[in-house]
Amino acid sequence: MPRPNAIRLALVASLAGVAACSSDFLSVDDPNQPTRASTAQLFVGHQAAEFAVQEGSLAMAACLFTQQCAGVGGRFVEQMGEYNFNSGSFSGDWTQTYAFGGLVDLREVEKRTQESGDRTWLGIARVWEAFSVGTAASIWGDVPYSEIGQAQPHLDPQLQVYDNLQTLLTTAIADLQSGTGAGPGALDLVYGGDRQKWIRAANTLKARLYLHTAEVRGAAAYTAAINAALNGIQSPAGDFRSAHTSSTSERNLWYQFQETSFGNDLVAGSLLVNLMKARSDPRLPEYFGTADDGTYQGGVSPLRGTRIAPDYRQPFLSYIENELILAEAYQRTGNDAAALTHLNLARASVGLPALAGLAGTALFQAIVAEKYIAMFQNIEAWNDYKRTCFAGLGLVPRSSSQAVTPGQVPGRVFYGQTEENANPNIPSTASQLSNGGVAEGRPSLHGFRNPNDPTACS
Amino acid sequence: MRRLRGLLATLVAAALAPAALAAQEPAVVTGRVTNASGGPENAVLVRINSLNVGTTSTADGSYRLVVPGSRIRAGTQATVTASRVGLAPQSRTVTLSPGASVTQNFQLGSDALRLNELVVTGAGTTQTRVEIGSARNNVPAELISRSNESNVVQALAGKAPNVEVTASSGEPGSSSYIRMRGTRTISGSGQPLFVVDGVPINNESFSTSNFNPIDELGTGEISGTTQSNRAVDLNPEDIESVEILKGAAAGALYGARAGQGVVLITTKTGRTGATRYSLKSTLSLDDVNRTYPLQTRYGQGRRGVAPGEHSCDDPNVNGGLCTRSWGPDLTASGIPVFNHATEAYDTGREFENNLSISGGSERTTFYMSLSRVDNSGVFKGPNNWFDRTTVRLKGTHFLAQNFSLGGNVSFADTRGSFIQRGNNVNGLQLGLLRTPPNFNNCLPETCYLDPTTLLHRSFRMQHPQVGSESSTRGFDNPFFALFEPENRAQVGRVFGNVTSSWLPRPWLTLAYTLGADYSTDERLEGAPQASSDVSAGGRVTDGKIVDYQISSDLTATARYRLSHAFNGTVTLGQSLNNRNNRVLATVGRTLVAPEPFKLSNTVSRDPPYDYETVVHNSSVFGQGTFEAWDQLYLTLAARNDGSSTFSANHRRSWFPKASVAWNAVNLLGNPEFLGLFKLRAAYGEAGQEPLPFLTTNAFSSSIVGGISQGTGFTPTQSGYGGLVSNFVKGADDLRPERTKELEAGFDIGLASGRAEVNFTFYNARTEDVILNVALPPSSFYTRQAQNAGTFRNRGVELAVSGRPVDRHNLTWDVGVQWGTNRSRVLKLEGVDWVALDPLSITPFGVAKEGEPVGVFYDYGVVRCGLSPEGQDAAVEGVDLATVCAGAPKGAVYIGEDGFPVRDPNQRVIGDPNPDWTGGFNTTLRVGRVELGGLLDIRHGGVIYNGTRGALYSYGTHKDTEQRATCTLVAGDEVCTGNEKVFGQSILPGAVVGPGAGMAVPIGENWYRNGLGPCPFSDVAELCMEDGSYVKLRELSLGYDFTSGWLTRLTGVRDVNVRVAGRNLHTWTDYTGYDPETNLGGAIQKTRGMDYFNMPQTRSFVISVSLNH
Repeated sequence: MPRPNAIRLALVASLAGVAACSSDFLSVDDPNQPTRASTAQLFVGHQAAEFAVQEGSLAMAACLFTQQCAGVGGRFVEQMGEYNFNSGSFSGDWTQTYAFGGLVDLREVEKRTQESGDRTWLGIARVWEAFSVGTAASIWGDVPYSEIGQAQPHLDPQLQVYDNLQTLLTTAIADLQSGTGAGPGALDLVYGGDRQKWIRAANTLKARLYLHTAEVRGAAAYTAAINAALNGIQSPAGDFRSAHTSSTSERNLWYQFQETSFGNDLVAGSLLVNLMKARSDPRLPEYFGTADDGTYQGGVSPLRGTRIAPDYRQPFLSYIENELILAEAYQRTGNDAAALTHLNLARASVGLPALAGLAGTALFQAIVAEKYIAMFQNIEAWNDYKRTCFAGLGLVPRSSSQAVTPGQVPGRVFYGQTEENANPNIPSTASQLSNGGVAEGRPSLHGFRNPNDPTACS
Repeated sequence: MRRLRGLLATLVAAALAPAALAAQEPAVVTGRVTNASGGPENAVLVRINSLNVGTTSTADGSYRLVVPGSRIRAGTQATVTASRVGLAPQSRTVTLSPGASVTQNFQLGSDALRLNELVVTGAGTTQTRVEIGSARNNVPAELISRSNESNVVQALAGKAPNVEVTASSGEPGSSSYIRMRGTRTISGSGQPLFVVDGVPINNESFSTSNFNPIDELGTGEISGTTQSNRAVDLNPEDIESVEILKGAAAGALYGARAGQGVVLITTKTGRTGATRYSLKSTLSLDDVNRTYPLQTRYGQGRRGVAPGEHSCDDPNVNGGLCTRSWGPDLTASGIPVFNHATEAYDTGREFENNLSISGGSERTTFYMSLSRVDNSGVFKGPNNWFDRTTVRLKGTHFLAQNFSLGGNVSFADTRGSFIQRGNNVNGLQLGLLRTPPNFNNCLPETCYLDPTTLLHRSFRMQHPQVGSESSTRGFDNPFFALFEPENRAQVGRVFGNVTSSWLPRPWLTLAYTLGADYSTDERLEGAPQASSDVSAGGRVTDGKIVDYQISSDLTATARYRLSHAFNGTVTLGQSLNNRNNRVLATVGRTLVAPEPFKLSNTVSRDPPYDYETVVHNSSVFGQGTFEAWDQLYLTLAARNDGSSTFSANHRRSWFPKASVAWNAVNLLGNPEFLGLFKLRAAYGEAGQEPLPFLTTNAFSSSIVGGISQGTGFTPTQSGYGGLVSNFVKGADDLRPERTKELEAGFDIGLASGRAEVNFTFYNARTEDVILNVALPPSSFYTRQAQNAGTFRNRGVELAVSGRPVDRHNLTWDVGVQWGTNRSRVLKLEGVDWVALDPLSITPFGVAKEGEPVGVFYDYGVVRCGLSPEGQDAAVEGVDLATVCAGAPKGAVYIGEDGFPVRDPNQRVIGDPNPDWTGGFNTTLRVGRVELGGLLDIRHGGVIYNGTRGALYSYGTHKDTEQRATCTLVAGDEVCTGNEKVFGQSILPGAVVGPGAGMAVPIGENWYRNGLGPCPFSDVAELCMEDGSYVKLRELSLGYDFTSGWLTRLTGVRDVNVRVAGRNLHTWTDYTGYDPETNLGGAIQKTRGMDYFNMPQTRSFVISVSLNH
């Protein structure tokens, strides 16, 4: 009987197949998406993601809530301007803060730069983390922080988050001062890897976050803010800004929203426009376009100043903010002279004449008004209002029927719906409204407000 | 099975050749095989297993078996076995010596029940019918051929209990969905695994529109054209037999791919002997079996007012009066009306020709076939057709007496041109059924073109002006939809295998199969410039799907015999499988010139759609059978599957099975009339492997952030490449879905074969159903695939067949099959409900804890016992508990105005799963005449008739012919006349509430602005209709000409002429086209969706077969 070689061949082929069924054969990578990303790619991705948070719905809401902007056209922009929103409204911003380019990737950058010993890059990443988490804490109050990345993180108390961020920033500054590591260089879209600028921005951020706690911690917070801000941003050239180009998906988000999407649903808020007109503020053409009759009108003028340019870099932390933090903090700690000095430095930086003879409440109101104008389109404008209760700011009309917090400018927004649905540690929307968003057994505060802001403006 | 028998015969015959060369004298066994009545039996296999020799009996029943002298010594005892399907096998012991002759006759009793027929049971295993411990469903070639279906899946309709087959429409080439024993997955396709000659093949359906994620958001299956399921590339005439493995117990040898069952297809094989030629030609005339009920009395307009002469010339300017048919009564004015229900259809023709040639020598057999299907479709115009050309070549050659090689290759060229349909303003049905009766869609000279400008005109743009070439028409004119767009699919496919089989020892068989399935599926969707909506200006979608699967299977089967009473087999196998599917497509927008539909003729292109899947499987399996005293059969098997889709910590997974079958006729005293009294029980596990790449943590370059659609940043900024972590977290703990199924039943058959009853009960619990579970973003991801659900399906199946009349020239066969499946979602972790198909139109078919799988979940009207009770729970200011006291469950709450009220709470509003399905078939043979028929029955299960709801709003549905007169008085709609009472003359049933019994006018107030038009009012519940039907699937009359003179004159052995009907009649209460329909075709697991689906067809068929 012939011994067919074909059989042996078939057997050998099969045995080879058996050998192939090692883990290699069964381990198949997704050919559609990269499964590895470099530190550089993650860092650039994170910056894009955080730019999107800072220029996104939260900034628009802050603009509307503080009446720097107004919503028209009947769509969600107008609804939001009437304080009508729900747990879905800012769900995307919440998600973006943590996932999909948010802290998930920033933490990876920190891990890798720490391992490689690049303290410059690590320090920059840590400032980004403090910036991102600080914004989240100011919006939502208690937020997941110490347990992020775990399956179902608990909420950390807001003030504890602020304290941890101060520590983080102190560490970041030390990293940056160490001079170790090449840093991200040009990949740093904000400062091009400039350590000194980052150190100053970190100090301004520290000052900002100290101010956030001032309503409950009083003078100690102001003193800490002064100490930090004195090392803060020293000139407009040191402003911490987003970076944009005229490419479709790299354009300033305000431009994208206004000019390519919904189209001019956002217009100038009367309060801001009237205030600026009254003092002939040189920034008017920077902020707004004119109505058909060539004048600036609240509720009419489109958000079409020079700031709407596709490649306009939105300032997030700025020299003028730093000066006004100093002004506010000195005033609140009884040093009106120093306060006035810093107020006038701020004014000078935008071409406004110096003020004189102001003191006490009048000085405070002048500082608050100056900052209200300066922080246009910045989420911080809303945080400032929650603390300082800018006098001119009343309620928008028609705000009663659908508003989440009738009779008050909202003190916070709901936790993201996706988080609420999937994390049992998040209080329901109903309990957020009834106990002030405080969860996990801590005492209730005063309505829909954050712990750092117990008192609503009247 | 014939194939195996032929193979064995050839094998044994081949064994003789070298033996003759042996030096020693051979021994010879001769004899005659007769049946119970003493008549000769030919083709009986006579063999001596232990010596590996065999032969077959000739026409006079005689046989001659030569045993090489080298294999025996003087006085060797050997067992000679004679067997053939239909006869009871017999074994006799003979004593052999070299050079001596022995005579051994056999008189075989009949085995009408074919208990010893070898059945393919999958993964290279076979068992005799009596041994099988699970329910068996077989569909032979004759039944497939008789169905006159060109899609093998559709040919299985009504053939086996609990095998539901649904044609998505009557369009040629449209997909058929097959479901066995209920839906058992969410992430998977819900379709069984198709295996042809031991090699798994691709039966995917893919919608061309899904090449265009921007316009379609991945919902092409409900808004594009119909698409074929790829099993349509098989020529049904090539099929010898289909074995359906329904449950996990039957399919366990296919492990993680058998969760929804397995369909084992065996193709025809050539047989040793004279070359046979067979030519079959079929002409089928098709038409739409039912047209849509439309009214032809009221014209375009609203509230009785017709639009002005030129007010319907631009859908962007005037939507108001133009869109609806609530205008004036046309009967009074004498304005001509047009019957849109029938105008789009023609008689479709299908020519099918099939030529097969088969035969073989002692060592070599072959089968080759050539087939061609040409179907012109039932829609008017040149763009509705389906063609298929197949070639198959299959051969086996014995290189040595114990070693064979085989090859089996099929090439298919399948092309179709389809018509847009479904939820789609470019679709045929939307424009057709919504057109007011007084608008002529097709003018005598120019049809859908304006006589002056020769531009596309529709009822919402009645006089297109020059310059409007690229403007939307609101809805496309149905004739435009039929004549102008091109929607093509063109498939070239090669699939088949090479096999080898080696018997190194008489008791041991080694078999190896290497199979492959390669197809390219080229798609084109060309929307002309004058198309409506998103394709206005023209759009070209061009892409290609390349699917490549390769499988390698090695099995070793050993027979053992412990004693005369105990024997069995042991099979060990190893399998490798690699599946690769690659899609590359591009959408071009705005045509430069009106034609051609080429990407290069478009102004701009979307980013390419580029996606690839790769799956690797590596498995080992084993099966042992044990037979005791010729009556007790035990089977134990297990498969160990490794898959690249499982998470690394669960790379391999076991799927065990065990079955026992006991033919208890002995216990009953062996009564002569009873041939089979088999009790059987089986337990098995099978599963569904996860979708590919769910375990991968990948990075994305998609847009981050953004305030509204279309805004946001790419992770790459300022020229520096960026990536972000995906939303989806790779599953680190993902196992296959696992169905654990226990089934038990009995088979009782009369020895005469004149009656048989099969009964099966099964209980299947599917665990680890994979869901996309939501994660909190603070965990860094938002979704992850997890094993998070448990389903149960259980049911009963009954098949009864019998031959009440069996005379020489007259036989009558009847068969009844009946099955019922009850499904229930036992557990869903982390979610209240989940849609079976995430991207669809409402109402969603969902899995919801405590409910059957696939129930519709959406809004309904307020009903007692169904809507939440308590103050304001459903109706403001009303405590439903009080109002409903004493009312029956489901009673409709009627508000103060006399109308039902929308319930603001979603709930389960209907179950599309049938209560039971069944079939009845019969064949009457009188001489050479054969009359056959098949009824296919589905009882219960709702259909969402969204078409009806939409046509209510448009005022074109027949029901709206009865309408109240509505006018606008001081800004309010006031209607009078056509008064109905909810609960009585409209929506009959129990009612409660302050408006119960109130007569209210029913006109535009209800049909256009009320809850009735469910797709627009979102009260989907009112669109639910009973989807029960009885279908006359098949009716055929055949005549066999066989005569000596014919053969002498033409060489043709016989001629068979048949006239037949397919889907001749449907008995149903469903008011739409046909309750056998589904919007999502074979792509979606959601069943019972009808939203401007295409109609079904019926066929009249004439076929002639010549056999030589």
